[in-house]
Amino acid sequence: MADPLPPGVTAEQMAEALEQFRRIVGREWVFTDEGVSSYRDPYTITNDENRYRAHAAVAPDSTEQVQAIVKVANELRVPLWVVSRGKNFAYGGAAPVLSGSVVLDLSRMNRILEVNEKFGYALVEPGVSYFDLYRYIEERGLKLWLDVPDPGWGSVVGNALDHGVGYTPYGDHFMMQCGMEVVLPTGEVVRTGMGALPGNNTWQLFKYGFGPYVDGIFSQSNFGIVTKMGIWLMPDPGGYRPYLITFEREEDIEQVVEIVRPLRLNNVIQNAATIRSLVLDAAVFTTKRQYYDGDGPIPDSVARRIMADQEIGMWNFCGALYGPPPITDALWTVIRDSFSTIPGAKFYFLEDRNRRPDILAHRAETMRGIPKLTEFGFLNWNGGGGHVGFSPVSPTTGEDAIKQYRMVSRRVREYGFDYMGLMAVGFRELHHVTVIVYNQSDPEERRKIDELFTLLVREAAAEGYGEYRTHIHYMDMIAGTYNWNDNALMKMHERIKDALDPNGILSPGKSGIWPKHLRDGGAA
Amino acid sequence: MKPAVRTTIAAVSLLAAALPAAGAEPDGKEVFDRHCIHCHGPGSEPGTLQLARTRGQERALLTERSDLVPEYIEAVVRNGLKAMPAFVPSDLTDVQLEALVQYLTAPR
Repeated sequence: MADPLPPGVTAEQMAEALEQFRRIVGREWVFTDEGVSSYRDPYTITNDENRYRAHAAVAPDSTEQVQAIVKVANELRVPLWVVSRGKNFAYGGAAPVLSGSVVLDLSRMNRILEVNEKFGYALVEPGVSYFDLYRYIEERGLKLWLDVPDPGWGSVVGNALDHGVGYTPYGDHFMMQCGMEVVLPTGEVVRTGMGALPGNNTWQLFKYGFGPYVDGIFSQSNFGIVTKMGIWLMPDPGGYRPYLITFEREEDIEQVVEIVRPLRLNNVIQNAATIRSLVLDAAVFTTKRQYYDGDGPIPDSVARRIMADQEIGMWNFCGALYGPPPITDALWTVIRDSFSTIPGAKFYFLEDRNRRPDILAHRAETMRGIPKLTEFGFLNWNGGGGHVGFSPVSPTTGEDAIKQYRMVSRRVREYGFDYMGLMAVGFRELHHVTVIVYNQSDPEERRKIDELFTLLVREAAAEGYGEYRTHIHYMDMIAGTYNWNDNALMKMHERIKDALDPNGILSPGKSGIWPKHLRDGGAA
Repeated sequence: MKPAVRTTIAAVSLLAAALPAAGAEPDGKEVFDRHCIHCHGPGSEPGTLQLARTRGQERALLTERSDLVPEYIEAVVRNGLKAMPAFVPSDLTDVQLEALVQYLTAPR
């Protein structure tokens, strides 16, 4: 199948653009035909093969090359789909929303420009992965810890820009970013915060600079291309003790979350801890067929067998204590006493877990900021390899937690899947992330997933819950739920889009934001 | 203070390295250790566990297999397979892929 052209762009225009891109970056860094096949969504949902397909990809090596590419794209009206490393796999990977776009792949911009131990930060380009930064710090013996999401090969910049989360006290990645360099859609370069002040020495120390704080408009957006970003790193805390608390009953989630809220607000729970469901934890190292040969979701009897076999609960609270023993001992006393009020709660430190592989042994590394890919063992639960995340945000209340759990798990099971969810604990809210694992090579399963996901979004929105992040296939849908006051927020986004990107060349459709010429069905 | 916008950065930048440049003579083991080992290393990594289930324990570790052929490795790397996503050519170049193929198909 020929690679598609974007709407309104002729084959001649595209050919001219690609030729100019080759002059800018070198012929070997422009990919077309078979060379672009690896930019497809690896876990596709749609059965329409014409959707989300790039025409080509171009991989620059510098901010100057990015500027030159953007200039050409404006002249020839060729849309660029920007990815830092393209490893955002459950959300579309490197694939564009608008078919025919040229992927602007920043993987080669992988320089670690500074790591500052004194103040605890790094300044990196978008192609730097968590593996890269971790290796850099370890090789130099710096007393700094990373905060990592589950995919260690992901981009430090890209993950923060997509509002990704990790599991240490620095778990909210966008909260921890400080200072950006951005190429605007018209090619100018700006530095945000203190970076706008010539001669400053605080670009990565103070986020706000002077005047409006604009960094947020470059996250989950198509308003600019972030080519450098500061990220704060945690100093070695001088002590570390990961723990696991298991709970036996589904309904325990209500009481667990009520206990979590004050402990998190007061920083007794120090990190971005997670409350993980039985099947999610079981799936990291085992498959469904090891326990159950039937169709559909596992029955309760099987769930009980898995709990006994793997020494885990229906819910599993994975947290960690950071600091010297006098501090962590005191915090643990409060945490243990608080959760002890739940009948059947069991408490484990690493030394209490003898089986290998083991979920706490695995999560202990992640909560220590060691990048890995181990978590993605859960993709093999069903054997089909596909997955998509449904991720509504909830207040940290027991009432909301059990309501969300029941809403989502009922639908997921109704469609024949196991509930694989976690509640990632923020300061005042929970990201309730439900991973739906499916057979991506089965068109009927993809159709079912699409129907289920659409239902979940609508039902959540009707109860006031919105997703924090989503797959390219659902960006319009999710954006459409944030529609208070006659879509006032989207209208503002569109005004910003039109002002910064008058030719509409940057990542059309990202987060539901379309350039003027592609709105109202123009992209169809 | 100082004209040099970021004296610190400039200084550190000279040391701080850019990551292995595509185009330098790639070493197959280094390519494997950078791109593959996190799923296909020994222990309980997802690729190793799944290959043990589907191909048998003796074929679970890619680095111990003698049945892999270049075309298969190239196809899986560029197109993905089941849970494994494809690797784009900017991140894992054709030259690096060739080195990886040689590493994984070397006589054992």
